[in-house]
Order: sequence, then structure tokens, then C-alpha cells
Amino acid sequence: MGNLLHAIIEGAKAAIQSIFAHAMRSALTTLGIIIGVAAVITVVAVMEGLSSNISKELDDMGSDMVTLRAFTSPDQQMLGLSNKLNYDDFLQLKAKTDGVRDMTATMTAFSLGGSVTYGRKSTQTMITGTDSSYQNVVSTYPEFGRFLSQSDDLRRRRVAIVGTSVIKKLDMPANPVGEFINLSGDWFRIIGVAESRGQMFGFDQDNYIIAPFSTIRSLKGASATDNIDILFRPETDADLKGIQDQMRQILRKRHKLSGDDPDYFEFITAEKTRKQFDSITGSVTFVAAGVVGISLLVGGIGIMNIMLVSVTERTKEIGIAKALGATPQFILSQFLIEALLLSLFGGVIGLLLGYGLAALVGLSMPGAGAVTVPMWAIWLSFGFTTTIGVVFGLAPAVKAAKLNPVDALRYE
Amino acid sequence: MSEPTNKASNEPVISLSNITKHYPMADETFYALQNVNLTINANEYVAITGPSGSGKSTLMNILGCLDPASSGEYRLDDQNVASHSEAYLATLRNQAVGFIFQSFNLLPRASVLTNVMQPLVYRLMSGSSRKKMALEALDRVGLSDKVNSLPNQLSGGQRQRVAIARALVTNPAIILGDEPTGNLDSKTTLEIMALFDQLHAQGHTIILVTHEQEIADHCHRVVRLVDGQIESDRLNQRAKPSQETPPQDQTKQVMHG
Ligand SMILES: Nc1ncnc2c1ncn2[C@@H]1O[C@H](COP(=O)(O)OP(=O)(O)O)[C@@H](O)[C@H]1O
Ligand SMILES: [Mg+2]
Repeated sequence: MGNLLHAIIEGAKAAIQSIFAHAMRSALTTLGIIIGVAAVITVVAVMEGLSSNISKELDDMGSDMVTLRAFTSPDQQMLGLSNKLNYDDFLQLKAKTDGVRDMTATMTAFSLGGSVTYGRKSTQTMITGTDSSYQNVVSTYPEFGRFLSQSDDLRRRRVAIVGTSVIKKLDMPANPVGEFINLSGDWFRIIGVAESRGQMFGFDQDNYIIAPFSTIRSLKGASATDNIDILFRPETDADLKGIQDQMRQILRKRHKLSGDDPDYFEFITAEKTRKQFDSITGSVTFVAAGVVGISLLVGGIGIMNIMLVSVTERTKEIGIAKALGATPQFILSQFLIEALLLSLFGGVIGLLLGYGLAALVGLSMPGAGAVTVPMWAIWLSFGFTTTIGVVFGLAPAVKAAKLNPVDALRYE
Repeated sequence: MSEPTNKASNEPVISLSNITKHYPMADETFYALQNVNLTINANEYVAITGPSGSGKSTLMNILGCLDPASSGEYRLDDQNVASHSEAYLATLRNQAVGFIFQSFNLLPRASVLTNVMQPLVYRLMSGSSRKKMALEALDRVGLSDKVNSLPNQLSGGQRQRVAIARALVTNPAIILGDEPTGNLDSKTTLEIMALFDQLHAQGHTIILVTHEQEIADHCHRVVRLVDGQIESDRLNQRAKPSQETPPQDQTKQVMHG
């Protein structure tokens, strides 16, 4: 046992010398390992950042908010159809569904072109029409001023709530309540500023304008048949499934759908979004695992190859060591340790590289969230590289250990 | 340190009986050694001579436990070598014998000190005592001032001294040299032979392969191999240390004798 430990320590010293004697070759040999580990670390770090971010976003959004929107099946799309939900659908649902606390309709005024002007400045933004319930459904509160009231909608007032980015882009005063902006020729008075929502996946969440639903519908270009989204929040402890079934019945009846016609709408819940995200994460992880597996295999073969070359190159040296009393176990551990260290060096470089890449991704994509490399990924990388080093280093090491001293000494 | 063996000089340290070494050839078996019987006692000073290809190196490799015999029995220090594992043979090579090669076989990229310490690496020994023993061995061969040199910075004679120091560092009872002066000029050969004389005087058993008569003349016993068999094995009564007799005269004396 003591002999083995001794052999390991001496073997490690000899191995480190040998690795640094051929620094370039060692670096190239471990390229596969470096790429494999760097890929693992980058993907894991970015994924961790994204998922902690999306969890936070979903929590902020309120996990019980449900979006009901039009859905066009691929078959219908091929027939050139495009399903829509309209304002009457919304009114019916609002009147007939039990268990819903707040419900609102939103309409994105694509026909307005999204162009907004203040003074001499103008910018592109997203203009949405909705009603006073929106505030409760989406949990958005004004930083300045007030939100839409019922009378704003009833009287089709030309008033608007702006997101904080719009203020910045248009160089408006910090509190722009009372200022006027122009949306495609129509003047709107700002009545409130929505509190900032920050960014998600690098997208600005504060670049929008909200105006009363009826006002937007009445504007030129907008039409009563424009597609709407319906947002609602069920009552606490309500049976969400039951609510969705009620709504489904109402909508299917309105559109006279028969038994096997597909729904022309879909419900999107926080849970569903999370599942979709998880499935994206899952497939990215799967692809990454494939890349990593191949890199590590290539890396392992590289190590085996270079170790075989090394054994051949050092045949004479091995002969001398054997003549001077090195046991086969000593030679075996020396070469095995060299393969292991090569692999681990590759792992360490890959780890640093992966961390650097993940940090870069984090910088260039602010929505990626805080880039963290979880401890398990580090252990996994070291576990992999150790295994690769031992598995692929074994054959060359055994070859070295089995060399006949006389033949080895004769080698030139 | 100066007491490599505590055996009486008439006790055998090496005993070969019916040693044969053969190599399979294309259509026949080639016998490099055939029925060699040889006993060497502690503190003997033996030359193994013979024409090229007569089996001298083959015999030395067997004596040094580098190569097993095909048949026959080799007893080293009264142990049957053939019965041991490769790991145990490595230990024997490390402790019982010191091997010196014609081509020195030093590690080219390692310093003189590292080369001499190498056999001690294969023992449980701290770095500081390794260094101490290597410095002692280098002192014995007169190379204390070359400790940090690389082999290619040394002359042939100096390199062989390093190799001898490396063979001595484990203080083995038996020192084996396979044509140790074969790559050296005659002046350097004399210096190296003086060193072997000295080691013999200190109690080591010395066995040297040579085909140079003047080397054989240093030895007390000359074994001559021809075609893998011992042709003659006789004592050299007139063996004289090199310091006392000029080599030319010595050659003549033996040739006439
Ligand atoms: N591995 C081997 N395979 C075949 N023949 C060998 C081998 N080693 C040595 N020989 C042969 O054995 C004979 C003796 O070799 P060797 O002991 O080296 O002779 P010497 O040292 O006396 O010159 C030579 O003819 C040589 O060719
Ligand atoms: Mg020879």
C-alpha cells in the first residue's frame, strides 16, 4: 500500500514533467476534453440562469393568470384560415362564466403601426387596448398618475398609460402625466406611467402603451373583428379546470362547433408556459449531452493515441527504469496518472473556458439572468474526465508495464 | 556503506546450472546459451570474454534478472530467480545488482543527480535521503562537481562514471558491466578500470563483459564463451591493479603466460 502511494506520488511528478515537456501537444490532445467540458459548463450555466429567471418572471406575473387566445391548427393554417376571438366572445364569457374574479380583453393595435410621437421625437412601441380590469388581472400598478377607469372605456377617452421605456425613448419628463403623444395622427393624453417590469430574455418589457379598449377599436384602421386576447384570474380556490370547461362550452356553442371539430382557442397558464420552457430546456440539454458525449469520446481517443505514442517514444526510458528496479505496477501507475492528469488538465481548462463563455453569454443577453455554474456540473465534469483518463489511459499504461526490459533497452 | 556483503569470499552469490537461452527462428531454434554452468563467489572479480555474438550479453542479462533463462536454474543469493514474479525481479534488480551498460543508458533530459537518484525512486525513501545517498555515490566516482550537469555536457568517461554511481547508489553486492568501456578511449578506459579495481577492493563482486584483453587482465578470473558455451574458465594469477603496472606490459605478460 505504501509502495503504491509512493508510486503514485512519483508517477505524478514524472507525469507532470512529461506533460509540460510537450505543452503544445498536451493542449492539442486534450482539445476534445476541453470542448466537451466547456460545452457542458456553458450550457448548464446559461440554462440555470434562464430557468431561475423564467421562474422569477412567472412568479412575478402571478402564477394564477390565464390567457385565452385564438388558436389555428396547422391543418386550418394550410387552408389559409386564421381563427380569431372577438369582443362578443369576451362579453359572453364575462357574463356567463362562474368562478372568475377578474377578466379583461386586450387588443394589440397592429393596424396603428406602433408608431408614437412626442414633440419631435418618435419611436416604435406596442399599443394595446384594454379596460380597467387589466390592472387587477396582470397586477400592473401605476408609478405616476392613474390606470384606466371604466369611464375612460365607456367614453372612448383618448388617454394612455405609458411604459417607462417609452418615456426614455421620447425624452419626456420623468413624470409625463398630462403630456400629449400622437399615435398615427390621433392625440392621446398621458394619464399614468406603468411601473417597470424590467427585461425577459433580453427583451424590453417596458416599451408599450395602453389605451382604452373602445378607443382603440374606434380608431381608423382598427376594426371590430380584430383579434383579441382574453386575460382572466380565477377566484381563490376556484376549479380552474371547471372554469376552462365552462368557457370551452360557451365558445364552441357560439361558433357552432360539432363533436370532433378542434377548439379555435387555447388556454395558456403559467404552468403550461413553465412546461413549455422545461421541454425546451430538456431538448437543449439533450443536444448538449450529445455534443459533450462525442467530444469526450474524441478526447478520450486523443488521449489514448498520444499515450501510445508516448509509450513508444519512451520505450528506452521505460527499459532503463525497469533495469533500475521499477516494478510493472510503478510503470503502470506512472502512465495511468499521466493520462489522468492530461484529462483533468483538459477538464480544468474546459471549466474555465466554459465559465468564461457563459459569462459572455450572460453579458450579451441580459435576460439570461445571473450566470452560475452549479457545483454538480463541476463534479460531473471532473467525474467524466477522470473516467475518460483512466479508461483510455489503461491500454497504453498496460502496454508500457508489460514491456520486456531487454527489448526496451535495445530500442533506439 | 563500504561493506556491500557480509558473506565469506568462498560463498557462492551466483550459481548457474544448465542455463540455456534459445530464440525461435524462422525454421530452427537458435541457442544463444547452451548448458552454461557457472558459480561465482562473493567478492570475485570476473571477466566474461568471447567473440561477438558468443552470448556474453545474453548471459549478463540473465545474471542481472533482466531476462529469464529458457531452461536451467539460476540461483542469486541462494534464491531461485525463475520462481519469482516480475515485481519481485524488479526488486532484485533494484537491490541485489547494479547494472552498467556499454551505452551508459542515462536519462538525457535529467541532471546527473537525478539520474543517480533514479534507482532510489523505486524504494520508499524520502527525497532528502535520496539526495544524500546519490551525492555519496557521486563522490565515490569523483563527480561531486558535476551534480547539476546534463549527460550531454559530460565526456564519455564522465557519463560512465555517472552510470557507475547510479549502479552503486543502492549499494548492491554485485556489480555487472556489459562492455562498460566499449565506447571509451584507452585513457578513459584505464580510469574506469581503476574505479572497478577500487570497488572490488571495497568488497563488491564484479562481473565485466569485455572483448578487450587489457580489461580481462584486471580481473582475477576469466570466463571465455564461444557459441553460447563456456570454452574456458581460469584464474588470472597475474592480475594487477592498473596503478601498479602499465597496461602495455600487462598485456604482454598475460599473453606470454
Ligand atoms: N532477442 C533475440 N532474438 C534472436 N536472437 C538473439 C536475440 N538476442 C540475442 N540474439 C542472438 O544471440 C546471440 C548472442 O547474442 P549476445 O548475447 O548479444 O552476444 P554478445 O554479447 O556476446 O555479442 C547473437 O547471435 C544474437 O544475434
Ligand atoms: Mg554484447
